[in-house]
Amino acid sequence: MVSPTLSLYLTIAVYAVAAGLVFLSLLTRREQLQRLATMLIGLGFIGHTIWIGTICSTTHHPPLTNLPEAASFIAWVLIVVELALLFRFKVQAAAFFVYPLVVMLLATTAIVSEPFAPPTPEQTSKIFIGHLLLTMVGVAALLIGLAFGALYQIQDRAMKAKKRGALYEWIPNLRVLDIVSYRSMVVGFAIYSAGILAGVLFAYNRHGALTTFGAKESGALVAWVAFAVMLQAHLSGTFRTRKTVGVALVAFLATVVSIFGISRG
Amino acid sequence: MTLTLIGVNHRTAPVELRERLSIAKGSEAEVLRPLASNGGIRGSAVISTCNRVEIVVSSEAENVIEPVVELLAERAEREAEQIEKHLYVLRHRDAIRHMFRVASGLDSMIIGEPQIGGQVRDSYQIAKNLDTLDSTLYALYEQTLHVAKRVRTETGIGEHAVSIPFAAVELAKKIFGELSGLRAFLVGAGEMGELTAEHLKGNGLEAITVANRAFEKAVELAGRFGGEAASFDNVGAQLAGADIVIVSTSAPNYTVTAEQVRAAMNARRRGDIFLIDLSVPRNIDPAVGDVEGAYLYNIDDLSEVAESNKAKRLEKAAQADRIIEKEVDGFLKRLATQDAVPTIVELQRRLDEIRQAELEKCLRKMGPVTAEQRQAIEALTTGIINKVAHYPIIRLRESASAPHEGETIRETIRKIFGLR
Repeated sequence: MVSPTLSLYLTIAVYAVAAGLVFLSLLTRREQLQRLATMLIGLGFIGHTIWIGTICSTTHHPPLTNLPEAASFIAWVLIVVELALLFRFKVQAAAFFVYPLVVMLLATTAIVSEPFAPPTPEQTSKIFIGHLLLTMVGVAALLIGLAFGALYQIQDRAMKAKKRGALYEWIPNLRVLDIVSYRSMVVGFAIYSAGILAGVLFAYNRHGALTTFGAKESGALVAWVAFAVMLQAHLSGTFRTRKTVGVALVAFLATVVSIFGISRG
Repeated sequence: MTLTLIGVNHRTAPVELRERLSIAKGSEAEVLRPLASNGGIRGSAVISTCNRVEIVVSSEAENVIEPVVELLAERAEREAEQIEKHLYVLRHRDAIRHMFRVASGLDSMIIGEPQIGGQVRDSYQIAKNLDTLDSTLYALYEQTLHVAKRVRTETGIGEHAVSIPFAAVELAKKIFGELSGLRAFLVGAGEMGELTAEHLKGNGLEAITVANRAFEKAVELAGRFGGEAASFDNVGAQLAGADIVIVSTSAPNYTVTAEQVRAAMNARRRGDIFLIDLSVPRNIDPAVGDVEGAYLYNIDDLSEVAESNKAKRLEKAAQADRIIEKEVDGFLKRLATQDAVPTIVELQRRLDEIRQAELEKCLRKMGPVTAEQRQAIEALTTGIINKVAHYPIIRLRESASAPHEGETIRETIRKIFGLR
């Protein structure tokens, strides 16, 4: 039986090699390296799933109750969505953003390394579990939306400037990027909003107040507003502007702050 | 078996000679039948395109050039000496490499062009139908088609557009993905504009609207594309409904302005617009390029895309040549093994005949023996001939990796063991 720590470290190592390979493919322009990276991501994903399964069977609750678990779960959902999009649209270029983000999230899991603990009575609440699950999945979908939005911005600028960047060949057409980015944002935003609402309800039940304002809550609120602005920009057709790039950056940073603000309880 | 390839192409012969030598579809038999009746030639095939006429033959001896050159001279209605200076003669390894390069598009006027692969396949089919291929040419063609496929898959040499109309199609696909369901608006009746519209239509474009100063010309062009004609004075209004706009007029000023495009984009709300300006002087205001969602490419931009793609194809050609060199080595080895197999089989058969004959003599002298005794004698004699044949067979197999020395080895073993 592989120890949970070992399976986590192995997963991080495999993901890191895959992230390294996709960057190497940028320099060498060899597509085989990307295929190899995809295979490694698949392999890492198995290890990752085993690790998450181990937490569930040890603690008897979903792996969402502290920072290491949440970071790992978001990374897991990111890989699921990335692989699904890769098979559906053959978009390898998003890997340049997603793989390093996944490595970063799992490294956080390994560095913070809190011991597995059984759930507190509050953590068994359905609203609380719903809140965690919805926000994590929502965040993962929104991050994918951001990654594809970033690819759109890169390709749009390359097409306008008539200069082909290093990623030009590997980024799919603008229409696919627009569709994936927009749909990920719409779905992610709806799920994320539902997750936040569930969190507010849980806080009200527990504290008698709608929410408390720590880093996690403030980050989540700023991220929600930023994503709402981005969606509005998508709907009004003004999402190509520099202002939207700035808002996307705020959304990303606020999301990171809210993830790192997660603490037990 | 030796392979020889004799031919002319766009680099070695002028078009006047190539057209005289060219072999029309359906008349290949006129070339291949006379070659098949030549005693020294075991197999033959011909590749005839607008850029090349090549005959590839397999033969036991190497002196097959003369009949082929005479045949070509006769077709060209010239003296053999007159056409010889335009011919290239490639033997065995060079002939195999050449076939692989031709089918992969590396020897074409436009490197990586895909049509040649199909033309080589056709040439294979025709020779097969005329029954002029021997086993060596069969193997060569099979391997050639395999190598061409491998080169295209592994290098992607044919992926990038190297002409202006194709560059426009490539860019349109980079913006919209599939072109099906899109609408184009062609302004003017310039030749390049027509050609670009034709290529876009060939890639699935749904509809083309044409506007021209001479309305009759617009109607005629629209009829050709199965589209509609529009008034030249109504260009601005047409922009809102178009995904791709091609402008190719000789107007001295801007036919499409930034304001018109901005208004069209607002009317559409979502969706990009690709504008192609093929006119000199330019007919689309360069400020259009600053409008959000509008991608403007003029003739120089498209030429640059095509040129940079040509450079990319050259890089890929170097990669393709490395693949081909390895494939040539592998195929030569396979051919030599194929040559050694009949000698090995015949050697084993000859030795077994001797064993059987001597065994029968011996058994007659010995008188009745039990089944076990006969089995023991059979095993003993089989063991002896296997030991005798062991080293010659090893040497024959090794001869596969050294084609020229291999022939000498095979000849020597045939003489020593009295094989045919």
